[in-house]
Amino acid sequence: MKILVCAKQSPDSTVRVKVAGDGKSVDAAQITWAISPYDEYAVEMALERKDADASTTVAVVSLGAARAKDSLRQALAMGCDEAILVSGPGADALEGLAVARALAKVALEAKPDVVLCGRQASDDDQGLVGAALAEALGWPHVATITKFAPADAGAGSVNGIDVWKEVEGGHEVWRATGPVVLTVQKSEKEPRYPSLPGIMKAKKKEIPEKDVASLGIDASLPRPEMVKMEPPPSRGGGKIMKDGDAKQTAQELARLLREEAKVL
Amino acid sequence: MLPAPGADERALADGVAAYAADLAPRIPAAEEAGAIPRDVIADLGRLGVLGMTVPEEDGGLGASSVAFALVLEEIAAVWPSLAVGVSVNSGITEGTIVRLGTPEQKRRWLPRLIDGSGLGSFALTEPQSGSDAAALRTTARRDGGGWVLNGRKMFVTNLRYAPVVIVLARVGEMDAQRPHAGVTAFLVPTDAGGVVIGRPERKMGLLASDTSPLTLEDARVGADALLGPEGKAFGAVAMAGLDGGRIGIAAQAVGIARGAIDRAAAYALERRQFGHPIADFQLVRNALARARTDIAAARLLMLRAAWLKDRGRPFTTEASQAKLFASEMAQRATRVAVQTLGGYGYMREAVVERMARDARATTIYEGTSEIQRIVIARGMLSA
Repeated sequence: MKILVCAKQSPDSTVRVKVAGDGKSVDAAQITWAISPYDEYAVEMALERKDADASTTVAVVSLGAARAKDSLRQALAMGCDEAILVSGPGADALEGLAVARALAKVALEAKPDVVLCGRQASDDDQGLVGAALAEALGWPHVATITKFAPADAGAGSVNGIDVWKEVEGGHEVWRATGPVVLTVQKSEKEPRYPSLPGIMKAKKKEIPEKDVASLGIDASLPRPEMVKMEPPPSRGGGKIMKDGDAKQTAQELARLLREEAKVL
Repeated sequence: MLPAPGADERALADGVAAYAADLAPRIPAAEEAGAIPRDVIADLGRLGVLGMTVPEEDGGLGASSVAFALVLEEIAAVWPSLAVGVSVNSGITEGTIVRLGTPEQKRRWLPRLIDGSGLGSFALTEPQSGSDAAALRTTARRDGGGWVLNGRKMFVTNLRYAPVVIVLARVGEMDAQRPHAGVTAFLVPTDAGGVVIGRPERKMGLLASDTSPLTLEDARVGADALLGPEGKAFGAVAMAGLDGGRIGIAAQAVGIARGAIDRAAAYALERRQFGHPIADFQLVRNALARARTDIAAARLLMLRAAWLKDRGRPFTTEASQAKLFASEMAQRATRVAVQTLGGYGYMREAVVERMARDARATTIYEGTSEIQRIVIARGMLSA
């Protein structure tokens, strides 16, 4: 089985993000970058399949700024076989639909059996690229999956891919035939740490770079644009009740929770 | 010469740092239980940490001493007990087998010290012989095709996790004029008859690191247990191994100091007194700035010793200097860290409290500070 994972580089989730001077981007100086968490689950899920069947190959593609190469290196160190960077001027400013169209070109060339994407990126939370990629490819899409495996057609033969997805109170199993795009909720295990030999091997691997301009994405198509970014309002001060005995305090607290905070 | 680590060495250390950081929530319970969880040792095997210094042809990664020192620093910055376990396994134990072992000995033991099924162990100290290591009394005598060992060893790190322990014992009578003559190293399987592992010591710090006594009661080992040249292990095994081990302890001390001071700095930015974060106060800034400079100096000494070792050049003095300075520095730095956190720093919940206790061992094991000064002076003053 050949798996292609689409991984976006986004600000590490432990970093405190600040709005930059232009009011519509984040201050890059303060940021350490990492594979977006759901995409990291997708990488782990692909590698779990490779653990189960060593003939599986896992390629990972990232579209964005040149620094995304570091995240691809991380994916290689975790155990992916190859990595592709789609970069060049404007690559990190593409919106979701254009990203999906660009990734579709990469996928058509790579000819995977399965494309895995995280269900959404941790920076814009759009959750668009996976579904739009399926549409651009004309392939089916199953969302928020937790596991996939070759479907057992009996007598040791395999036909299609079984896909598990969480639903309220349980899970469903879907079967897909032919190539499919899956968006990942969570892998069975937490994403693995790269091993030291993995890190050394990854450093020696070439990461081919494609210029996004060469993929023929029509930039004149209608597109939404972010115009403003605002941090959440700073938290107001708390209220300390120090007058009165326990009974009065409790009554006052209940009143405030009901009338001011409106949580009761 | 500037012993700056290369990009590969930094990448390996960063890889281990990412793993170590996520161990943090598990440390208090493991320290309380006095044991490193087996799955953590297994992880270190799987991640390639335990075999990182073993040459590739012997199944390891063949990474440099510089890389290993940086990795130990990263582990110690989070969990010093784990760092000392890795240091003894991958430093002196594997290092001695790689250097002096026969191909058969390497094939038998290295995979088990690399794969995460256990940690290797090294037994030199005895109840009556600490700094005066050459005065050891454990004996080995030939018996048929093999050897019979008798004696007691103290403070053996990793013993409870070890498939094999390198034991230094005396072959023949002690010559008071030449006490180091006759000292011989043996690879003793811990499941051999007559090998008794005693109750783990209860220590001031490094609570999760195993420190146990070893008693050898007519312990019988094969001819293949002899490691390196008979009668010459004091120089070839003990002293040579300790030189490398001292870089490991320097790295551990640098890591402890850094871990403690990072926490103190973060606390100083958050903690407000007199209407200001305490990081605004000059007395706090002064203490933290001195500690940070101390750490940087110790790291350079550590890297210099490791860099020389990687190039096959003499590094005895440099390893002692690194170990001496870094371990003494770690006392000062952890003291500053506890002081910065004030009452909170004295509480068991505080990481700096643990780090301060853990740091204390670093001026003692692998040669006390006094022994390091003797080694350094000998390098200067002997003709």
